[in-house]
Amino acid sequence: MESISRISSLLETARDLTLEAARDAGPRAKSVRPLPAPQIKKLLDSRNERDVLDGLRRVIAMQYANPPQPTLTFFPAVLKTLSNPYPSTRPLVYNYLLHHAELDPDTALLSVNTIQKSLSDSNPRVRAMALKTMAGIRVPVIAQIVSLAIKKGVNDLSPVVRKTAALACVKCVRLDPSSRPQVEEYIATLLGDKQYYVAGAALQAFIEVCPERLDMIHPVYRKLCRMVVDMDEWGQLALLKLMTSYARRCFPQRTKRVKQARMQEQRAHDFYEDLEPKEDDEAEYDEVELVDPDLELYLKSIRSLLQSRNSAVIVAVARAYLYLSPTNYLHHAIGPLIALLRSPQDIQQVALYNIVQVCLLDPTFFVPHIRHFLVRATEGAEIWRLKLELLTLIFPHSSQDVQNLILAELEHFSRSHDAPLVRESVRAIGRCAQSSDPTTSRRCLSLLLKQIHSPDQSLVGEAIEVVRHLMQRSPDEHQKTVIRLAKNLDTLRSPTARASIIWLVGEFAGYDPDNGIAADVLRILVKNYAEEEDEVRAQIVLLAAKVYLHFLNAKNGKKRALDALNSTTSRAEGEENEAGDENQTGDGPSSFEAESGSPHAIEALYQHTMLLARYTPSYDLRDRARLYRALLAVPSSIDLATLLLLAPKPHPQAPSPSETRRGLALGSASLVLGDENVRGYSDIPAWVEEGSEPDAKLRDDGDAGMSQSSTTDGGRSNGSGSAGAMLDKALKADPGYRPNGAVGGKTTKGKSLDDWLDEESESEEDEEESEEETDEEEDDETDESEEEEEESSEEDDDDESEDDENERTGLVRAK
Amino acid sequence: MSVIEALYIFDEHNSLILDHVYTGRPAPPSTVLPLYLQHAVPRPSLIYLPSTTPSTLLYSITQDNLLFLSPCASDTEPLLVLEFLHKAADALEEFLGSPLLAAKITASYDVVAQVVAEMADAGVVCQTEANALRDVVETGPGVLKNLLGGVGISGSSPALQSGGSSLTLQRQPAMSAHGSAVPWRRSNVRHTSNELYVDIVETLSVTMAPSGRPLSAFAYGSIAFTSKVSGVPDLLLNLSTDGKGAGMGNRGDKLRAVMEHAVFHPCVRLAKWKSDGILSFIPPDGRFALCGYETDLLGPNAPLTTNATTANNLDLPANIEVTTGLGNTGSDFEVRIRQPTSSSTSARSAAAASLRSNLGRPGGPRLNSNHDSKTPAFEFLTVHIPIPTTARNVSELRPSKGEAQWTPAESTVEWKLTAKELGTGSATLRCTVRGQPSDDDDEAVGSGAVLNGMTTTTYDYDDENPATYQAQHETSPPPPAATTSDERKVEKNRDLMPTSATLSFGIKGWLASGLKVESLLVDTKKSRGLGPEVKPYKGVKYFTVSRRGIEVRC
Repeated sequence: MESISRISSLLETARDLTLEAARDAGPRAKSVRPLPAPQIKKLLDSRNERDVLDGLRRVIAMQYANPPQPTLTFFPAVLKTLSNPYPSTRPLVYNYLLHHAELDPDTALLSVNTIQKSLSDSNPRVRAMALKTMAGIRVPVIAQIVSLAIKKGVNDLSPVVRKTAALACVKCVRLDPSSRPQVEEYIATLLGDKQYYVAGAALQAFIEVCPERLDMIHPVYRKLCRMVVDMDEWGQLALLKLMTSYARRCFPQRTKRVKQARMQEQRAHDFYEDLEPKEDDEAEYDEVELVDPDLELYLKSIRSLLQSRNSAVIVAVARAYLYLSPTNYLHHAIGPLIALLRSPQDIQQVALYNIVQVCLLDPTFFVPHIRHFLVRATEGAEIWRLKLELLTLIFPHSSQDVQNLILAELEHFSRSHDAPLVRESVRAIGRCAQSSDPTTSRRCLSLLLKQIHSPDQSLVGEAIEVVRHLMQRSPDEHQKTVIRLAKNLDTLRSPTARASIIWLVGEFAGYDPDNGIAADVLRILVKNYAEEEDEVRAQIVLLAAKVYLHFLNAKNGKKRALDALNSTTSRAEGEENEAGDENQTGDGPSSFEAESGSPHAIEALYQHTMLLARYTPSYDLRDRARLYRALLAVPSSIDLATLLLLAPKPHPQAPSPSETRRGLALGSASLVLGDENVRGYSDIPAWVEEGSEPDAKLRDDGDAGMSQSSTTDGGRSNGSGSAGAMLDKALKADPGYRPNGAVGGKTTKGKSLDDWLDEESESEEDEEESEEETDEEEDDETDESEEEEEESSEEDDDDESEDDENERTGLVRAK
Repeated sequence: MSVIEALYIFDEHNSLILDHVYTGRPAPPSTVLPLYLQHAVPRPSLIYLPSTTPSTLLYSITQDNLLFLSPCASDTEPLLVLEFLHKAADALEEFLGSPLLAAKITASYDVVAQVVAEMADAGVVCQTEANALRDVVETGPGVLKNLLGGVGISGSSPALQSGGSSLTLQRQPAMSAHGSAVPWRRSNVRHTSNELYVDIVETLSVTMAPSGRPLSAFAYGSIAFTSKVSGVPDLLLNLSTDGKGAGMGNRGDKLRAVMEHAVFHPCVRLAKWKSDGILSFIPPDGRFALCGYETDLLGPNAPLTTNATTANNLDLPANIEVTTGLGNTGSDFEVRIRQPTSSSTSARSAAAASLRSNLGRPGGPRLNSNHDSKTPAFEFLTVHIPIPTTARNVSELRPSKGEAQWTPAESTVEWKLTAKELGTGSATLRCTVRGQPSDDDDEAVGSGAVLNGMTTTTYDYDDENPATYQAQHETSPPPPAATTSDERKVEKNRDLMPTSATLSFGIKGWLASGLKVESLLVDTKKSRGLGPEVKPYKGVKYFTVSRRGIEVRC
């Protein structure tokens, strides 16, 4: 919900003017004339309430002023005013005391006695304030006294004091960690408090002091779940945080196989055809979560929190639903999450990260809310980036209408003037194209091809890159696209784009060898070889090698066919072995050269390119050219060359940018930052294993024992001790206990990377094997084979560099 | 750990005006501010600063030109901190008056220090209800003098006056014996005149396709409630819809269909809302946000793709159209504001009239001041047209009404109109955009010649092999002879045309969702401390505002 000051600012039209006037007023005028120190001291020593108050105000103002003025000298004078009977001065004195206690602990200690007296005041507000101040004095000596004061406060009749006592627990432990066992007892008592705001504060203290002591929660679990609606939002947040991890650790995930709920049409279908007996199909059974009744209680009681005005509460409820029972409850949280988009921009941005996270897990929930994700021209970069991502995530799950809308939207923004926005929309179009059927894919492609003529070179590079990915995925459909792209080489300036297109031309050179354009493209490109960037030159050289290789292969094929015709007459069919092969390939080119005096045009072109490459300044390029030359010079290594240069390439993947954050917990700062290493980040714990969870009776006992607990502290702490022991045992017994997200995240991420590596290593192995074979074949040509080894390693490098390229463009992020 | 470590407030000149450390040793304001300012506007609300020791998460909001920063050393829930910062701004405004100004904060550090310290106890957020804070924060005698004397500039603003009057009414002794039973309401409320005001504000967020068809249309509503009633009143607010959501069952269902994704102040009894669609609550004293909701103006079942004939059934009080690429060289564009025909306007005025009768006190000064004219009136009208940064200048701004100006720094054309200027008809603005001088043939003839030379060569190149590749092309490039200078200019100017325009306005007395306040009752049985003879004065205000909310693409 918008804060009231924001609503007011909408209503008050004069407000802008006031603000502007204030800004124009420049450096602010001091409204209160500063007084010299002795005069302030005089005011503080006065007996007049008004004077004392005035003096204190001046001291406080000095303390907060920028730059801060020295106020420590007033310490004794300020403390002296504590002896005054005026209640109005107290808050200011306490404020001063808290601020200066650390600087002058000895003087601060002088005040402790007076404050202790106030702890027994008849007014609960005075008691609360005294307790709060005493706990806040950061002088470790008084830790014991503070602990005693809290003990008194815990049993106070006024809930205001008890709430203060709960919060004082946090300060007490910070002051002296050794007081923790005592403080934990206090918190246990306060958690059982009937006043919801005391229990809320106790929960906040619990999270700060001892979040691992889940045994303290068992007895009050049900009571807290029922209370949560009435707590203030901060107590609710503490409860949601605690209970979500509590539930993971105390309720094992149970599933039951039940018969699948039938779709409506199917039901209608059954209605008419129920005369025919149907046999139960195995597939009709579904795994259904069995929710523990206690967990159910929690999930139900937090449902009304979805109407909270506090965005943090809504996200926390969504987190609980997402990690505890996504199938049964998560849909309740979707609407409220969407509603966060109407908050102020700062909240909207964080909310969007959380929405994306939920959307990654199940995009179908968000399809009806598509209109909320339309990008507006006035929005900041962070917000439209996330909105575009949401649109692409929803895209494959939505109907034709919605897909059209999304594409139109992306098309609009790909024509915008904001370069990053254009680039991001181009990528988004690419992602849409990947995950959709061929017709939409074609439409996406034509949208992308329009970008080629943009004056923004980096955008063109981006678009071509995306187009390349698309074409690699289904090469058969895209032969004409290659021609279209190749035509653009005439006008295109961006080196990345040119290099990409040339690479594509090379890849497609083998598809239709008879009317391929590759050789022609090469011919044209070679003319301007000298003017190209190194990136482009490298691709030209590679293209030349590929074209030549195709040429050689074709020639060999013809020759082999001829030989086969001849050999069928002379030899038995089965005898065609390696030796024969070697013979054939061995005398192939020589016989070819023999029959035509001048070299074929392609061969000449290739030789020319190699010559050009030889005189290129880049040593890397020269080296590569040498490799191709060596590889293609000897007929026997043509098979190897084919393997190296014309190997089928794996399909590139372009995951959604937020895919890297998948493992991070909803609602955490790490999720927004996309960084797992933020200090204090804790993952959602893994589900406890069946059988090692704490006994459900612990929660029963607590409910019954609650009434006694206020009187018999000792007995309960015993009980909780045993419960704690049980829990500890349970946790120890569970060997697989690890924070869940880390496991999940790693496995999912690791998997994709492993897959990738597997593919890689397999193909490598293939290469190595074949290499060894050739090695054996050509023992005499040792130099060559050495060079070949170099080649293959270089080729690996090539692959890697291609990976790098992908990573750079943000399309593949395997971490 | 969900702890607020510190709160820093900076004024509009980025100089520190408040530095309150709650706990620990957070990075000081002098360190975090430059790191924050390094980020480009709009700055993210959460920034990670790895260079500080320990590394810091920095949360930020801006409210009324003031910058609120809160550093945090460990991972907390970001929304918790951001909500806290918003609450802090609200609480300060409650005590210091609206709008929140740097001068007010520096003039009353004693109050600010108490408010800030009470909101979070050693970093644990504990009491953020601005009204309940009144019970614990000592404003004491003389504060009022400081307040009004110190801030002469806004002494005349009505909001501050109302804040001042509530201060005078306040009881002197700070410590009331027991906390109020209602955690969000201060105890012992006394007012000499009892008043209740409901302000419903809706913010429009509409996106129109180039065809004029609305792609999305939402009204984000907030109900701001002002209660100045003695004792502990229990109120029933009854809202009704204006025919929307018809056929949705009972009244409550209809209401819920219009008020989607509603969120409430904790005082609202959710059960009552769910069963009857009535807001039943014990309000905090003073002004607070009661409820937030949104309305999908297109309705839930609106088709995503429609033809233009059924389009624009959206009943907006004003509309804009943008036409680009006008003129000989395509360097002009035109924006037109249109108002719908009078029929819907009269419907709106009828709504305003019925409102008066509902509340039974048409003679009240508040109602009178708002609705002295029968038709709802525009408060202001502004059109913003973002121009690509490649444009060098926008010359010849020709508005038919109002004033238009071009701001190169933001690269936008702003066109302001008053309601009087607009009248009942329409208005147009026509502008000419100029590109960079190097592209301008008029200014650099020499470069133009070079340009021509280059284009010729490329086209020649194309002509070399048209037969092979042209077949695959849907659109063959135009032959060189056809490219007259005008056409090329049109081509070039296409990149200079705006792609969207936004309309901002404010309208009193009309709500886009058609929501109305049916009745506002004090439940005398449940209320305490309020005599049966007391009849609080009630007022209702409707306001629809669009802050660059109506976006038309082109």
